[in-house]
Amino acid sequence: MDWFNAHIISWVTFLPLAWALGGLFIPDKRSDLIRQYTLAGSVITFLLSLLLLTGFNVENAGFQFAENCSWVPSLGINYRVGIDGISLWLVLLTTFLTPLVLLSSWFSVHDKEKAYYSLLLALETGMLGAFVATDAFLFYVFWEAMLIPMYFLVGIWGGKDRIYAAMKLFLYTVVGSLLMLVAIFYLGYQYHLQSGLGYSLYLPDLYTVRLGGEGYLSAQSILFLAFAIAFSIKVPLFPLHTWLPDAHVQAPTAGSVILAGVLLKMGGYGLIRFVLPLFPQAVVLYQTPMLILGTIAITYGALIALVQPDIKKLVAYSSVSHMGYVVLGIFALNTVGMNGAIFQMLAHGISTSGLFLLVGVLYDRRHTREISEFGGIAKVMPLYAIAFMIILLSSAALPGTNGFVGEFLILLGLWKTSPILAAFAALGVILGAVYLLYMFQKVMLGPVTKEENKGLLDLNLKEVVVLVPLILAVFVMGFAPNFWFSRMQGSVVKVLSPYIPAPLSPTAAIVPTQSAE
Amino acid sequence: MIRPETLTLAPEHWSLLAPYLIVFGAALASIVAGTLPERFAPGKVVPVLCGFGFLLAGMCSLNACLSPSTVLFGGMMLSDPYGHFLNVLYCLFGGLALLSSYHYLTQQRLRFVEFDILVVFSVLGMMLMTSTQHLIVVFLSLELMSLSVYVLVGFRRSDRKSNEAAMKYYILGSAASAVLLYGMALIYGSTQTFELNEVLARVQNNTALLTPVFLLGSVLLVVGFLFKTAAVPFHMWMPDVYEGAPLPVTSFMTGALKFAVFAAFIRVLLGLDFDVSGVQQWNITLQNVLWVSAALTMFAGNLIALLQTNLKRMLAYSSIAHTGYILIGILAGTLTRESYSGVIFYLIIYALMNIGAFTILSALAGDGDSGMELENVSGLASQKPWLALALTAFLFSMAGIPPMGGFFAKYVLFYSGVQVGAVWLVVLGVLCSAVSVYYYLRVIVYMYMRPVARSGGTLVAVPLTLQVVIGITLAAVVLFGILPNTLLQVVRSLFA
Repeated sequence: MDWFNAHIISWVTFLPLAWALGGLFIPDKRSDLIRQYTLAGSVITFLLSLLLLTGFNVENAGFQFAENCSWVPSLGINYRVGIDGISLWLVLLTTFLTPLVLLSSWFSVHDKEKAYYSLLLALETGMLGAFVATDAFLFYVFWEAMLIPMYFLVGIWGGKDRIYAAMKLFLYTVVGSLLMLVAIFYLGYQYHLQSGLGYSLYLPDLYTVRLGGEGYLSAQSILFLAFAIAFSIKVPLFPLHTWLPDAHVQAPTAGSVILAGVLLKMGGYGLIRFVLPLFPQAVVLYQTPMLILGTIAITYGALIALVQPDIKKLVAYSSVSHMGYVVLGIFALNTVGMNGAIFQMLAHGISTSGLFLLVGVLYDRRHTREISEFGGIAKVMPLYAIAFMIILLSSAALPGTNGFVGEFLILLGLWKTSPILAAFAALGVILGAVYLLYMFQKVMLGPVTKEENKGLLDLNLKEVVVLVPLILAVFVMGFAPNFWFSRMQGSVVKVLSPYIPAPLSPTAAIVPTQSAE
Repeated sequence: MIRPETLTLAPEHWSLLAPYLIVFGAALASIVAGTLPERFAPGKVVPVLCGFGFLLAGMCSLNACLSPSTVLFGGMMLSDPYGHFLNVLYCLFGGLALLSSYHYLTQQRLRFVEFDILVVFSVLGMMLMTSTQHLIVVFLSLELMSLSVYVLVGFRRSDRKSNEAAMKYYILGSAASAVLLYGMALIYGSTQTFELNEVLARVQNNTALLTPVFLLGSVLLVVGFLFKTAAVPFHMWMPDVYEGAPLPVTSFMTGALKFAVFAAFIRVLLGLDFDVSGVQQWNITLQNVLWVSAALTMFAGNLIALLQTNLKRMLAYSSIAHTGYILIGILAGTLTRESYSGVIFYLIIYALMNIGAFTILSALAGDGDSGMELENVSGLASQKPWLALALTAFLFSMAGIPPMGGFFAKYVLFYSGVQVGAVWLVVLGVLCSAVSVYYYLRVIVYMYMRPVARSGGTLVAVPLTLQVVIGITLAAVVLFGILPNTLLQVVRSLFA
């Protein structure tokens, strides 16, 4: 057991991959068995990951459950994993969403099921690995390797233009991350030169590297750009977002959920984990441009969402908009904004996943996602309409839901930094409510306009099982956000330490949350 | 001047020479066996004999890796871990070439014993080429290797493309050899010696020797090697040759031949050790040549590969692109010799993944290497899932996507570039490699995401020999991607 406890992160991370490899021995024809088998694997992974939550020490702001194993010592590469208050939640988000995604695919995927479910599990390993890696090389390996299953999921099981979308997804990410790779080289080498201690790519070691930060084209600024562009592509931040709508629309439901629920968070996580601690001067220098881009993303995403005829595309652009808040929260450079940004990532992971799943439900029944094809769905699918309403309001940041907490804190944090941008960003909240409710009204309310819609079946048990955890999460996170904040607080303060001279006491920074309720 | 006493061999030297003698012996024995009457099945005896020779020679070299550096034949040959380690690899690549060609030759009605014998001779050339610091021996063994391969390229005698390829390769290759030889002559003319370390010593002692003639000689030497490695702007011969040659030969060329030329190039650079005091001018000239050539090679290779729809040609251009990446490592090596380890590591992985990929292509090839268009692999994943999966792994590896070996190899190579300050060259390198992702992935798109194009059963079962080759290379590419440390340590120790 000791050995198990000492490697719990590795267990959680690699269990899905190992499980998927084991699943390859199941005969192709036994698709029912494959489904149950993979679902079991993901549920076990989720249960295992709960051990991380129960064993998490709130007082410790550093990396916990850390593992260290020599890998390529001559280049300073080690297998180092660990989690802090930030990655803890993203790991849990991943393990929480994966079983739901697998379950949601039960009736919608009928082609090459073994490959499909194996890839989803492999993808889970990739995502978890990127969140738990504390060695830059290891992070990069997971970050890139993750693309392989995602590429196949979109490219094989996607819609009509799936090949184009898969290619675009892959190439956008690769261009950004290869530039980041050069930056990692440079950092690693600078560490070697500055420390005189040999090579290392351990993040806390890299944090000690000092680079010239004067001016927009100094070494630090260029490295900042290399990292920031890679992560901004993933977020995706305007104007690097164009791959996202294509990928979302073409991806199968499960792919969209994973993409919106977890992969986009990878960008925000990267900004927090790498960019902020590594390049303090450049971050301050580029703070305003990033904030402006974030604000543009919010408004632009919302405006584009407003005119989408396709529900899934609408949700995709709403992601651009909502992830803009995350960038704002991060670059507000204060604890309130940062707490908000992390919380918003989790909230968005829940609510947008829910929306995509709900769109998937409708698509499975009608094989179209055009808003104009629907109307009065609430009459034929009442349960569905209720679930849709709840998730949608969470996405629109109604008080009492998780979406509100994140966006409110971000706006509050941003207000301290730049009241003007905060005002513009708040506009995005209103627009968000507008396009979501507008869509809801057109799809759900009114008389049933189309003959085909009259016979639609309401949610079945499996779909209810998928949606109930998400709806619960919406409310639990909305009413008791402190459970989340208390665990991330220490790490947030640590990340922001270069920017805030005297760290606030943990309780002080949580006050706004309570007033928010 | 030949001094007889330098030609005598101490008993312990025999074990150091054993690999060369065994390979040479295998070639001679194969020639004799090739004349056996039909009932002794020379078509089976010869490959077995050659393969056995490679196995034995490889084992002897492995053993000799552990012995210290020894100068043999009065400086004509050098037996050191570097040379013997490479011998092991050449024998491995030679063996893989025999295996991957075995069924192919029968199927394409090219089963002549000369094929195997020529492979053995070219491997012998490679082995000798990297086991010497003597320019004349470098040249002679380079010619031994090249001449054998010229014939191999034209092995499909009745095919015009194959003939054209052989002719082109022969003429341009000879031109390159001439350039190389002229460079050697000029170096000899200015320093009165063919031994590289002696050249270095004389130049260091007397910087007056650094005349324009000498500089021209060394630049010609470098250009000659760039020609042989098909670096831009000396690459024009290569796509046609790769396309025209029978698939196993192309595989052998991208794997072993390229490896050997680069290894010899490193050997020459190591012997001259450009990074010494007093020859900065020389050093800077060389680096400028390498910088420009690396940049052009990566850029042009990738850009042209984008336009290809024929798999064989696409891999040929991508091979040019990889030459460009390798040149970054060579450039880094001229500044810190440790960086050459990255080059060797890259070459090993590159050779393995190329041999693997070309072997898969040869399993799919129709008569006369037809059916190499992208459309022909359309929907391959549903027909031959394992073959498609293996090719996918090789392509991801070539594109440098983790966790494949190609990623780590590229990582080491580019890292060495950053360490010597060639950051912008590395940036260009990664951008080019992002471009390359597109054309590698396009193959995967065809295999997995498009419906089966060809109907009818043109696909035959993959013969066991090919399965073995694909299995070995695939296992190595994946293994060295995840656990590269051991191999990297071994390679680094060669340059310690």
